Parts: sequence; C-alpha cells; structure tokens
Amino acid sequence: MHEASEVHFVSKISIRGCKTRKAMRGEKNIRVVPRAHFELRTDHEGQSDLVLTGKLDTNSTPLLWRELKQELTKTPVTTVDAAGLTDCDSAGLGLLYFLSVGQMNPGVKITLRGLKSEVQKALQNFSMEDYQEFERQQPAKRSVAVEVGTAVVGVASAFKTMVVFIGEVASGLVVLLFHPRQMRAREVLRIFESAGVNALPIVSLISLLVGVIIAFEAAQPLAQFGAQIYIANMIGLVMVRELGPLMTAILLAGRSGSAFAAELGTMKVEEELDALETMGLDPVRFLVVQRLLACVMLTPLLTIYSMFTGVLGGVLVMRGLGFPLSKILLQLESSLHIKDIAFGTVKGLVFGLIVAGIACLRGLHTKSGSSAVGESTTRAVVSGILLIVITDALFAALNFVLTK
Amino acid sequence: MSAAPDIIISVRNLKVGYDGHVILQRLNFDVRRGEVFAILGRTGSGKSTLIKNLIGLYKPMEGEVLIEGTNIVTAEGDDRLRLLRRFGVLYQSDALFGSMTVLENVRLPLDAFTRLPQMDKDLVALSKLRLVDLKGSAAKQPAELSGGMHKRAALARAIVTDPGILFLDEPSAGLDPITSAAMDALFKQLARGSGMTLVIVTHELPSIYAIADRVILLDAEKQSIVAEGNPNDLRDHAADPMVRHFFRREAM
Repeated sequence: MHEASEVHFVSKISIRGCKTRKAMRGEKNIRVVPRAHFELRTDHEGQSDLVLTGKLDTNSTPLLWRELKQELTKTPVTTVDAAGLTDCDSAGLGLLYFLSVGQMNPGVKITLRGLKSEVQKALQNFSMEDYQEFERQQPAKRSVAVEVGTAVVGVASAFKTMVVFIGEVASGLVVLLFHPRQMRAREVLRIFESAGVNALPIVSLISLLVGVIIAFEAAQPLAQFGAQIYIANMIGLVMVRELGPLMTAILLAGRSGSAFAAELGTMKVEEELDALETMGLDPVRFLVVQRLLACVMLTPLLTIYSMFTGVLGGVLVMRGLGFPLSKILLQLESSLHIKDIAFGTVKGLVFGLIVAGIACLRGLHTKSGSSAVGESTTRAVVSGILLIVITDALFAALNFVLTK
Repeated sequence: MSAAPDIIISVRNLKVGYDGHVILQRLNFDVRRGEVFAILGRTGSGKSTLIKNLIGLYKPMEGEVLIEGTNIVTAEGDDRLRLLRRFGVLYQSDALFGSMTVLENVRLPLDAFTRLPQMDKDLVALSKLRLVDLKGSAAKQPAELSGGMHKRAALARAIVTDPGILFLDEPSAGLDPITSAAMDALFKQLARGSGMTLVIVTHELPSIYAIADRVILLDAEKQSIVAEGNPNDLRDHAADPMVRHFFRREAM
C-alpha cells in the first residue's frame, strides 16, 4: 500500500469471534468461531476507506453489521476494500451489497474494491429493487371504511351462497323423489347409523345427567315451599320442550356436523368433488341430500329418546327424595301434553336439518390446502350451534305469540 | 478407493426398514465433495426411505451415516444441529408452509439457524429467489404459485443457508420436461458454480445423464445396491445385463 504514509488510523476495531452459546454459559468445550475485522482509514482529504478482512459468514456478520452501522453513521466512507476477505457466504454478501448501495451511510455512493470474481458474480443476485418490490406487494393496512365495506359484502355473499345452496338441495331432493334409484339408500343408512345409532350412548349419558342436575337444582328451592312434587312438572316441561331438542342438536353438530364438513372438505381438497362434477354427478345430489335425509330421519327419534332419558334422570332423583313412582308419573301426566312432545319433536327435526345443511355447505365451500379442512370443520360446528340457538329463540317467540 | 479427504458422506453397512421389516441392507457407498450423486431405482426400491435415513429423519436398523466425519445416526443436541446446518433438503412434496409468504418460507432456515439482522436475511432470501427466477413472487402465498414455481421456491429455501450438501428427493416429480430441464441446469450451476455436493433421488434417466457424476442403483428384490459408477459407463459396460437394461430401456 503505497499511500500508507498519508493514512492515519481513525479507529481499528476487531470483531472478536463470538463464542458458542455453551461457551457463553461458561461451560466447557469452548469453540471460537472464525472472525471478521474492519478497519477505517482516513487520508489527509478526510476521505474514509473501510477495509474488511477475515471470514465474513453467518457467524461473523450479525456482529459486524451492528458495529458497522454504529461506526458508519459517525464516519461516512466512500470505498470498501474487500480484498482481505478470505471467505464470504450469502449472509456476508448481503452485508457487502447493503454497504455498496449506500444503505449504511445514506447519500454516499460507495465503491466495492478487491472482490474476487466469483463473489462479484454472486453479488449480482442481490437487488434493492427486489426488496422494494417485495415491500410494495406486502398487504397494506386498510382503512376502517374499506374493512366495513368488505365485511358487509362478505355477509351479503354468504347469505347469497346459503340461499343458492338451499335451492340446490331442494331441487336435488325433488329430482331424487322422481328417480329414487339415484338416492343411494345404502349411503343414507350408513349415515343414519354413524350419526344416529352410534350417538345413542353419548345422548343417553348427557340427557340423563342434565335431567338429574336440573332435578337436584330445583329440589332445594322447592323444598322451602314444600313443593318438591313439582320437580316432576318442571323436569317434564324443560326436557321435552327445550333441553331434549337442544342437547340433541348440539351433540349432533359436534359429532356429525364436524364429520360431514371434514368428509366433504377432504373430498374437495383431494379433488374428489371435481371428479364427481366431470362425471356429471352433482355433489349436492350425490352427497348432501343423503346426509340431510338421514338427519331428518334420525333427529326426531334421537330427540324423543333424549326427552325420555332426561325425564328418567329427574324421576330417579325424585325416587331418591322418597316420592313413590305412581305419584311422580301422575304428576308428569297432568303437566305434559302430547302437543308439548310434538312441539319438541318438530324443533328437533328443524335443528337436525339446519345442522346437516350448514355442515355440508361449509364442507363443500372448503378452500384449497390441508389446513382448510380444519377451518371448515370449525366453522361448521360454530355456525351449526349458532343457528340452532337463533332458531330456538324464534320458536320460543312464535310459541308465545301463538298461544297467547 | 479415492483419497479420504474428498469424501463428504460415507455410508457404512447401512440397514434400513420399517417395524422390523428390512427394505435395504449391506449398503456401503461414499459421496465425494462437489459431485452430483444420484440414487436410482424403480418405484418401491426404497430410494426415499434411504434418503430420509441419510438426513437423519429415520433411524436406520444398523450401520452409520458419516456426514463430514460425524455420524448422524448417533449425533444429538448441538452436534446434531451443527450437522443439520450443513445440508439443505428439497422434499418431494416441496413442504412449503401455507401459512407463510414465499419470502418467509425461504427465510425460515436463516431465522432458525442464524442471528443475522432482518435486512440481511431478507436480502439473502430475495437473492436466492432471484437465483431461482422467482423474484416477483416474494410476497405471495405458496397457494398462489404453480407447481414448478412451488418447486423452485422450495429449492430457494433449501439453499438459503449456502449448505455444503443439497439433498433432492424426486426434484422433477410432477414437472414438465422443459421445466425439469431448467431445474437440472440450476442444479448443475449449484454444483459446478458453488461447489455444492448434490445427492439426488430420482428415476428420471434424462436428468441423470445430464447432471449426475456417479450413481448407485437400488434393487427391491436384492434389497441392496446392484450397480455403482458413472451412468454412461453403466449403460455401455455394466457386467450385469439387468443393469444395462435399466439404463437403456428407460433412456429411449
């Protein structure tokens, strides 16, 4: 270096090799990784050069990057001399590139000197334009108005999808009524078994326990008035008109709604639905109608079963409290009418239709990708339960108005 | 036997299989530094199983796999992590994460293995995306990419840490001949230009003749290696007619 006499050192900072984490914790097996150094040289005109030496790789770059950032804001440089670099990987190239486009000390154009030809070549893959392009493509934050608008359009289109779906199901049902051979009765039976018969144990357990719980909760306050016999009235009305249908529907949404959405969603992801369409088979007619029909057949039965199991739970509690069976049954008979049972059963039927319908809709509208199946399963269960409760509220209001 | 320092992967008496059921055994071979090494065989001959044993995802039933002198079968903790940093893997199904953008996918190994500044990681990831000709797709989701672009994004992720060894499991599966030829050119560039060692599992003979320096041929019935050497030599001069047949028939 012939200019050596004109150069005086402003600073000489060595980046000591970072020790491994083990070494930092003071454990044995200290391994010092290769290091990179930098040196700032200023000539008599005040122009500064940055001289890099050593091994510039993923291990040494993080520290060097930080140190250089601090140092170069104080002392802007115009030339980077990289001739002393023994080794340079992509991370190091990133640093060299970032330096060379003047990002470390803004406004000053920097020349890179002494680069080996293969490093020079690899540097061509780095581009600040790519970075800016990438930043531009990042989704920008949207204003509240846009968010609200998007949400409204989303709700409207979801409503439209639902109406279209109901129409498709209805037309599918009509077509199948005239062509019963396309009904695939075996499929209906399979679903009836898996969604209905196999649900009996859990429906029994939950209904029985709900009956027991309500009877126990009612027993104490009623005892204060000596009116414990009215537990029978209460359990009868609550189980038959409300909880029987509701518990059945919620269990159906959790057990079978999720299964329907997952089945149809997987078929969508695996392109089985596309295969059906290209074979001229309508997925709604081929898959959805069967599920709806099975649910329409099984929910009334399951609901009635749930009502009676719940009442049985209450009866068991009352027997425990010492009431004779004949008295309990007499009390039940006086409070329950056939129209209550019919009301509960109709509710159960409607709930079953809703659960199966929404689950199939969510399944059919699964997006692509394996995580989409989980998403539509969740949505099927949540929308199912939500719609059940809303419909139940409508039933209650309707009943109130009609019987006034 | 070539000089020892040239050998980057050394497989010794390896026996691989599932649940006590042997698929391949008596495997002995070396991969030399900087070469393109291909593992060949028909469907079901255990190629993918072998590569998963080489990269330490499966534990072999017997034997050892030395990568730069360290046995990946027994390596644990920090030793294992250090070993994992030395190689990149392009999986058969690409294995891009659908919940992340392409850039985040490519950057992931840097996030996992280094403590580089964010800017450096982004620049490096973008430079690899440019290398595989995907520079405009950094902010996209993997679902928005075509099959060939998927493969290239996965390749960018595999090489983002500048690994010394690159494992490729059926890299041309599901690609058209032109795209797969372009991928081959890229592999050649990586091997010749950056001195990367490539270990490729494939059954595509055109791409083997184009890029492979040496190959081993696996056979399901013999449960072992039936041929080893340069693909052109094996096609013309292999002693075993079955081997010549394999290299010729599919080359047509």
